[in-house]
Amino acid sequence: MLQLENLSVRYGSFRALNDVSLHADEGELVVLLGANGAGKSSIFLTVSGLNKPAGGAIRLKGKEIGGMKPSKIVRSGVVHCPEGRKLFPKMSVMKNLTLGAYVYSRDQVGVRRSLEEVFELFPILRDKRYEAAGSLSGGQQQMVAIGRALMGRPKILLLDEPSLGLAPLVVKQVLDVVKKINENGTTVLLAEQNAFAALKIAHRAYVIEGGRIVMEGESDTLLHDENVRKAYIGA
Amino acid sequence: MSSIDLFFQQILNGLTLGSVYGLVALGLTLVYGILHVPNFSHGALYMVGAFVAFFLIVDLGINYWVAMIGAAAVVAILGVLSERLVFTPLRHAPPIHDKIAAIGVLLFLEAVIMAIWGAEFRRMPAPYTEMLSIGNVAAPAQRWLIIAGALLLMAALHLFLKKTIAGSTISALAQNREGASLVGIDASRVAMLTFAISGALAAVAAVLFAPINLVYPAMGHLVIMKAFVIIILGGMGSVPGAILGGMIIGFAESFGAFYISTDYKDIIAFVLLVVILSFRPNGLFTQGER
Repeated sequence: MLQLENLSVRYGSFRALNDVSLHADEGELVVLLGANGAGKSSIFLTVSGLNKPAGGAIRLKGKEIGGMKPSKIVRSGVVHCPEGRKLFPKMSVMKNLTLGAYVYSRDQVGVRRSLEEVFELFPILRDKRYEAAGSLSGGQQQMVAIGRALMGRPKILLLDEPSLGLAPLVVKQVLDVVKKINENGTTVLLAEQNAFAALKIAHRAYVIEGGRIVMEGESDTLLHDENVRKAYIGA
Repeated sequence: MSSIDLFFQQILNGLTLGSVYGLVALGLTLVYGILHVPNFSHGALYMVGAFVAFFLIVDLGINYWVAMIGAAAVVAILGVLSERLVFTPLRHAPPIHDKIAAIGVLLFLEAVIMAIWGAEFRRMPAPYTEMLSIGNVAAPAQRWLIIAGALLLMAALHLFLKKTIAGSTISALAQNREGASLVGIDASRVAMLTFAISGALAAVAAVLFAPINLVYPAMGHLVIMKAFVIIILGGMGSVPGAILGGMIIGFAESFGAFYISTDYKDIIAFVLLVVILSFRPNGLFTQGER
C-alpha cells in the first residue's frame, strides 16, 4: 500500500530523517515508536506533502507521491490526522467534519454517508455537532480530528499521536477506535508514545531513533524485546 | 430643521461612513486571516479602485455601475498579483518582512498612480444627483446608495463565508492553515481568492464613496488608518467585528463632528481606539480564547 524508500528530510542543515525505509501493506496496522523528536512526525508530514523530501521515494500502490501538493495527496487516498489535531476551532463539529470531505464536496450523498459512519463511530459527536470544535474536551477534539480524517475516505490513515495529552481511560477508547477503523479495512500507520497499548493493537512496528529506523518487527516480538521494553515500556 | 431631524441626519451620516469603513475593514480582516499581519497596502488598493473608476467614467464615458465592476476586477487582480509576487515568496520569512513588503506595495501603487494622473484632487460625478427622502430624512441619493450597496455586499459576503464551501475554505485557512492543507484545501488558491475578494471590496467601497468625496493619490491614508482601528476594535480576523467596528467608528465620527466639532472628526476614531483598548486590550468582540 504505502512504501517509503530511503526517505531523507532536512530542515535547513538539520537532517530530520535519514534513509528511512518502511512499508505498510493493505489492511495492516503499523505502529511507529520513538521518543519526542525521533522523526515520527517528520515522516507523516512528508508523506502528506507538507514537507518536501530531500531524497528517496514515497510510493502509494507503486505510484510515486513524494513532493506532490498536499491537496493532490489527500485526493489519492493518504489522509493525515496530525499531532495537535489542527482543527478549525471556531467552526462547529459538523463543519469540521464536512470540510474533512472537502475533496469530495461534489458528492454530497457520499459526504452524508461518511458523516453517518463517523457519528456511528463517535456517538458523542452527534450530540455535539453544532458546538464549536474548540470548546470540546481534549478527547472529543481528538475524535473530531480522527472523524475529519475519515471523512477524507483514506485508503491509508496516518495517525500522529492520537492519545497525546489524554486521560488514560480516553486513551484506551481512542486506541480501540483506531483498531476498529483498521478492522473495517483501512490501512493505518500510527505514531504512538504509548508503546505498550499501541503494540497490543498493531500488526507490526518500527522503532525510530534520531531520524533512523533502528528496529522493526512483529508487534509480539517487539513487545517481548528486552531493549524495547526498557526504552519504551518501562518494564 | 428640528433637532430630532438633525439627529436622524447624523444617523444617516454615521451609516454612510460606517458602510464605507466596514467594507474596507472587511477586506483587511479577511487578508489578515491569510497573512497574519495587517496588509498596509490595502488603502492603496482602495485608492486605485477610485482612480480606475474615475478613468472609466470620465475619460471613457462608461456607465457608473459598469465602471464599478471594472474597478473591482482590476483591483482584485492587483490584489492577487501582490499575493503571488510579494507575499507568497515571504511565507516563511519573519512577519516583519510582510509588513515592510506591504508598505512597499503601498508606496509603489501610489507612485504609479501619481505618475499617470498626477497629485491633484479630482471630483467623480455622482451617477444620481437628486435628493431622496425617507421619512423626514432627506439626503443625496448617493448616500442611500452607499448604505444600501454596502449592506447588500456585507450580507452577500456573510452568506458566502458561512454557506458555501469556497467560503468556508477561507475561514478554514485563517483558523488553521496546516489543518486546511491536510483536508485537501489548496492553500495558495484560497489565498488568491481571499486577496481578490478583499481587493474588490476595497474598490467597491472607493467607487461608492468617491462621488461625495474627492479622488486623489493619498485618499486611502485616512481610510486605511481607520480600517486598522476598526479591525483592532473588532478583533483581528473577525468578520462581524469588522462590520460592527465600522459602524461604531462611522457613528462616533458623524456624531462627534456634529455635537463636538468638525475639526476633531478624524481624531475621534483614534481617541476611541485608545479608550477601548485601555479596557479591552484584545478588542471588543474577541472571546477569551488565545
